[in-house]
Amino acid sequence: MNPAVAIAAFAAVSLATAGIGFYGLRISRTTGDFYVASRTVRPWWNASAIGGEYLSAASFLGVAGLILLSGTDALWFPVGYTAGYLMLLLFVAAPLRRSGAYTIPDFTEARLDSRVVRSVTSVVVVIVGWLYIVPQLHGAALAIRITTGLPAWVGMVAVVVVVCVTVVAGGMRSITFVQAFQYWLKLTALAVPILFIVFVLADSGTAAVAEASANPTGAAPAGLYQNISLLVALLFGTLGLPHVLVRFYTNPDGQSARRTTLIVLGLLSVFYLFPTAYGLIGRVFAPHLAQSGQADALVLLLPGELIGGMAGDLLSALVVAGAFAAFLSTTSGLVVSLAGVISQDLFGGSVQGFRRAAVISAVVPLGIASMTGSLALAGSVGMVFAFTASTICPVLLLGIWWRGLTDAGAIAGMVTGAVLCGGAMLAGAWLSPGGTPAWLAQPAAWTVPAAFAVMVLVSRATRGRVPRTITRLMTRLHTPERPLVTER
Amino acid sequence: MTRVRVTAPRGMKAGSTTAGSATPGNGTGGSALTAARSAAASREAAEESDAGQVFVRSLIRSQLRLGVVVAAGFLLILAAFPLMLGLVPGLAESTIMGLPFDWVLLGAGIYPVVGLSAWLYLRTAARNESRYRDLVGDK
Repeated sequence: MNPAVAIAAFAAVSLATAGIGFYGLRISRTTGDFYVASRTVRPWWNASAIGGEYLSAASFLGVAGLILLSGTDALWFPVGYTAGYLMLLLFVAAPLRRSGAYTIPDFTEARLDSRVVRSVTSVVVVIVGWLYIVPQLHGAALAIRITTGLPAWVGMVAVVVVVCVTVVAGGMRSITFVQAFQYWLKLTALAVPILFIVFVLADSGTAAVAEASANPTGAAPAGLYQNISLLVALLFGTLGLPHVLVRFYTNPDGQSARRTTLIVLGLLSVFYLFPTAYGLIGRVFAPHLAQSGQADALVLLLPGELIGGMAGDLLSALVVAGAFAAFLSTTSGLVVSLAGVISQDLFGGSVQGFRRAAVISAVVPLGIASMTGSLALAGSVGMVFAFTASTICPVLLLGIWWRGLTDAGAIAGMVTGAVLCGGAMLAGAWLSPGGTPAWLAQPAAWTVPAAFAVMVLVSRATRGRVPRTITRLMTRLHTPERPLVTER
Repeated sequence: MTRVRVTAPRGMKAGSTTAGSATPGNGTGGSALTAARSAAASREAAEESDAGQVFVRSLIRSQLRLGVVVAAGFLLILAAFPLMLGLVPGLAESTIMGLPFDWVLLGAGIYPVVGLSAWLYLRTAARNESRYRDLVGDK
């Protein structure tokens, strides 16, 4: 690919992102604006923004790459990413909005009436956020290396700088517009090239897509346990992602939070058809990418492989732009929510503190990413989902639906989940990638039930610690807002 | 339980509410906001009474049951897809419009199921809430 084209595409996306960010600066003035856009964002804007934020490097590059490698087994990834939102709608969306808290630690503190729970939740949220930013930066490194030939760290640093500038300048309000724009950019960037490719292939009479069952790497198919464990991680992990949750506070009330989630489900369903198509076509026409270990770059390279010349270059530029939109949007979403948590706990929640916390939130994962090698993108994001599913998901679900949850139970469960799942991740990284047994490689199927069980048992044992405010809190979480009172 | 009349400026719809602890806006300076706030506070008080809690608990139960039923139904359909591919011989190898059937089913066929489940949930959840509103006499 022509390096100049790729650099131009990246520069264009960065400028557009920063431009919308600065436009937002003129609107957001108060601390409330910075955190949650004053809760006045329309459902369609909000849904586009949630989609933009959620569709990360793993979705844009990783899903197609994994499909190229492991075929129909990998189709469970997009299904799980989407169905996770269904779980969010069923169990979390409206009550969480009605709780009126800004961040997950705000929620757990209010629900369990305990500063210690707040601190534990904050630590878990920050770990999750950092773990999730790392694969985004690896994706950026890969994209820069493959498309321009520049050293990999340039991609990571570029993403961190653009994100810091945008977030520090505008906070959540401008982020909402940026994210919404980036959803549609990502969709276009995948859809237009693949439609071209399909037309070209159909024109040349090669309609042999039915041969997709050919296996380019000869890797063994995943077993039943692995598929189930992966689904558990994705279904329940989405509930606890910090950058996803903070979005719900920008809805005016519980019912609109639900409507927003419904629109998000539609947007995600449409989006995931395209990475699937890339994976399918790649399996038939570009299996050599899997053999040479460039599977994650499939989306970036396929247009150039199948459509040469000027048209190929332009389509490649579009895909590169979409990929950077993915890195930027997910990273900035995570940075905003982490900065919200860090600044409220360390800097007293001022606007200055928010800016300082934003820089911290982005620079630490940059350090981690430059010290670690990149795994398959969709796989490493899958591990983050397993971690959230074993820590934040139990405390949210039980906190919303079970009066018996106590602070001691919540802490014990979160620590258990974090230790078990984190231990499995470390052990898996320590063992050679090929030699990791399935129960360590996909730990969610046993760490999630373990965290739930510990949380319930310890809460039962410490029954006297159920907060006295529980009746009022449960009422607030579950009853519809009074239509007359418009909260601001 | 005593009925307390919440005072509000003319034209502001505050209405009377059943509550013991509602504090009426202090006569002269009762702004629209204070009235709205005390109306909300009185509803809160009503909800925390024993009778109110019966309604609240039943709302929570029905919303939880709804969520579990929709989730279970969705997971059953999800599990049925690979089962069907494994059990019906030749199905995984067949093609639709030149595309392999198992890819179409898992790669595209699941999304309408997700959307339908979500839509059903949304409708029923809203209905549960409006029934609750009717019960507590909210407008």
